[in-house]
Amino acid sequence: MTTPVRPSGAALHAPPRSLSPVLLLMGKGGVGKTTIAAGLAVLEAETHGAAILVEFGDGDAGKRALGPSHRAVQHVVIRPNDAVHRAAIPLFGSATVAKLVLGNFAMKPLLGVAPAIRELAMLELVRQLAADRPGVRIVVDMPATGHSVAWLRVPKQGRDFLGSGPLFEMCDRIGRELLSPGRASILVVTLPERLVIEETLELCASVRQETGLHVDRIVVNRVPVALPPQALLDARAWVDAKGPQAGAAAQLAAVLEAREAARAEATASLDALATKDHAMWHVPLAPTDPYARDVARWLLAEGAP
Amino acid sequence: MSAVDPYVVVCAGGGGVGKTTTSAALALALAQAGRTTLIVTIDPARRLAGAMGVPITDEVTQVTLASAHGNLWALMPDPHRSLYTFAEQLFEGEPEAKARMLANRLYIGLADAAAGIHELVAMSLVARAAAQGKFDVIVIDTAPSRHAIEFVTLPGRLAALLGGRTVTWLAGVAQRAGGGTPSGASAGLVGWGAAHVENLLARVTGPTLVRDTGDLFRDLAVVRERFVALTEHAGKLLLGPTAAYLLVTAPTAAGRDDVLFLAQRLEAMGRAPRAIVMNRADTGPAPYAHALASHSASSASIALALTMLDEERASRSEAAERLSLDFRRHLAGVPIVRLPFIDATAPDQVVRTLSRELTPHLRVLVPDEHR
Repeated sequence: MTTPVRPSGAALHAPPRSLSPVLLLMGKGGVGKTTIAAGLAVLEAETHGAAILVEFGDGDAGKRALGPSHRAVQHVVIRPNDAVHRAAIPLFGSATVAKLVLGNFAMKPLLGVAPAIRELAMLELVRQLAADRPGVRIVVDMPATGHSVAWLRVPKQGRDFLGSGPLFEMCDRIGRELLSPGRASILVVTLPERLVIEETLELCASVRQETGLHVDRIVVNRVPVALPPQALLDARAWVDAKGPQAGAAAQLAAVLEAREAARAEATASLDALATKDHAMWHVPLAPTDPYARDVARWLLAEGAP
Repeated sequence: MSAVDPYVVVCAGGGGVGKTTTSAALALALAQAGRTTLIVTIDPARRLAGAMGVPITDEVTQVTLASAHGNLWALMPDPHRSLYTFAEQLFEGEPEAKARMLANRLYIGLADAAAGIHELVAMSLVARAAAQGKFDVIVIDTAPSRHAIEFVTLPGRLAALLGGRTVTWLAGVAQRAGGGTPSGASAGLVGWGAAHVENLLARVTGPTLVRDTGDLFRDLAVVRERFVALTEHAGKLLLGPTAAYLLVTAPTAAGRDDVLFLAQRLEAMGRAPRAIVMNRADTGPAPYAHALASHSASSASIALALTMLDEERASRSEAAERLSLDFRRHLAGVPIVRLPFIDATAPDQVVRTLSRELTPHLRVLVPDEHR
């Protein structure tokens, strides 16, 4: 479709680490995480026959991003309230007891305002899914930035805090079997804008420091299209000639200048990323929602998965 | 509600639709129209803070943009400080309880996962600013999530939790966990159930969690009145008659679904959106396109650039058209304000351009007496 902006430096990429069975996609809100997650799941399903897309929430976003034509992808929706009940069953030994405890007059309102419990439960369900379906790539669409690092910290905090008991063991299991190198890879989705990239670099640092996991890939989404560079020069010359329609030419020149500035900024911020130790994939800017199959094709061209 | 209560405009929408920029542009347009306006960003993007020339702090700061005519103020609370501010507000004059709360591992360890605390603190700061009586309009930019709107009911939910039996029970649990005595002594069916639940919980989680939870809630129960007072005003401001909800969106499928979802949530709260603001929703060809394309001085490069720009524009317009039809069908009677795509990278320039685009629509977005 288009030629994405490339970092200007040479040989900037470290040799990419191979990806683990579970891919956790992170990034700030609005960067297109769900679109990339769906594209990756479709690519994986098309190349290996099966893939699972995990979505936390009501399932709308993943369904929309996958589109109607991708039956090969199994779309697993984990709803917060169900998750607590399902994850609690093995802890309490039976569904009835779990229901009794969690439905208790005091527990119910407490669970309503205690999000860490739900996050732990949702991660436990991903762990179970990975254990039940070995060999199938699982793409997890994580919630937006700050919040998702907090998520990944919950099992470790729980383990340090609790010291013993079945809940401690659950935290420990999630840490060993899901949130460890070789089990899960972190992919961070970002945009080629200076400040978004700054946040991305901070996110990468806090992932490393606080979770012990690596950021294995950075996906740069919506890389802007190049307009013909000669057009800006021509429009400026038109303005300088002060002839007919010079006002309209000035408006066009302003738009082209803004695009040029956006591209220069994109290139500079991609350079900033490329000096760090991350492999990158680039996905071009589409004026409207791309289909998951298109995203899969773009990712394939970048060497994914 | 007193007569001096400001009009509150809550801007809600999914991520990536330009909500923060739109909120800032609306506040700027109101300031230009002579209204003393406060812009509150719950999830402060440093980019916007920079564009508006204000620091990220719990204090209300005047925006120095010349075009704001001295009428614009900003409040961009720091999410990293929320826990501390919250403890400070609740335990003012009670340093021991405050210290206990800030030392409670559960409070510190889990609260950054509890996004609600930041919203709550931000709202208490808004209530404090509103009480000054200085502001005509307060524009609130919510966090970029379709669930962000739930924050308006959080004060009520937390107050209910603190006032309910949960806290009494948890505080009791803490005491018993401290003393090591089982709680079988409680009378009645509720007591029996609670005792069993407590034993089961302690077995599953170990005693530490139960004890820390109990400790936390015992301190919170003491300041319940203060908590309710802190949140009550904010709740009234947000759900009262001088509050309006604007749904900000962009012509994407996610934007469409987020608006319909948010409208549904508002309906459940007994509210309707005042208007939908659609960004990147150009209504026709660029004003310069025809003049240049048909002109003999045009070059091949200009022609190509115009074609590429026009194709982009057309696909945005088409998507915006489809979305508008959908909104008219599902949300009949809700006005739709369409704004063009802004070709600029500097955030302050985008805010200024958008505020010019918004000015003719202020009547639709904010009622007369507050405009």
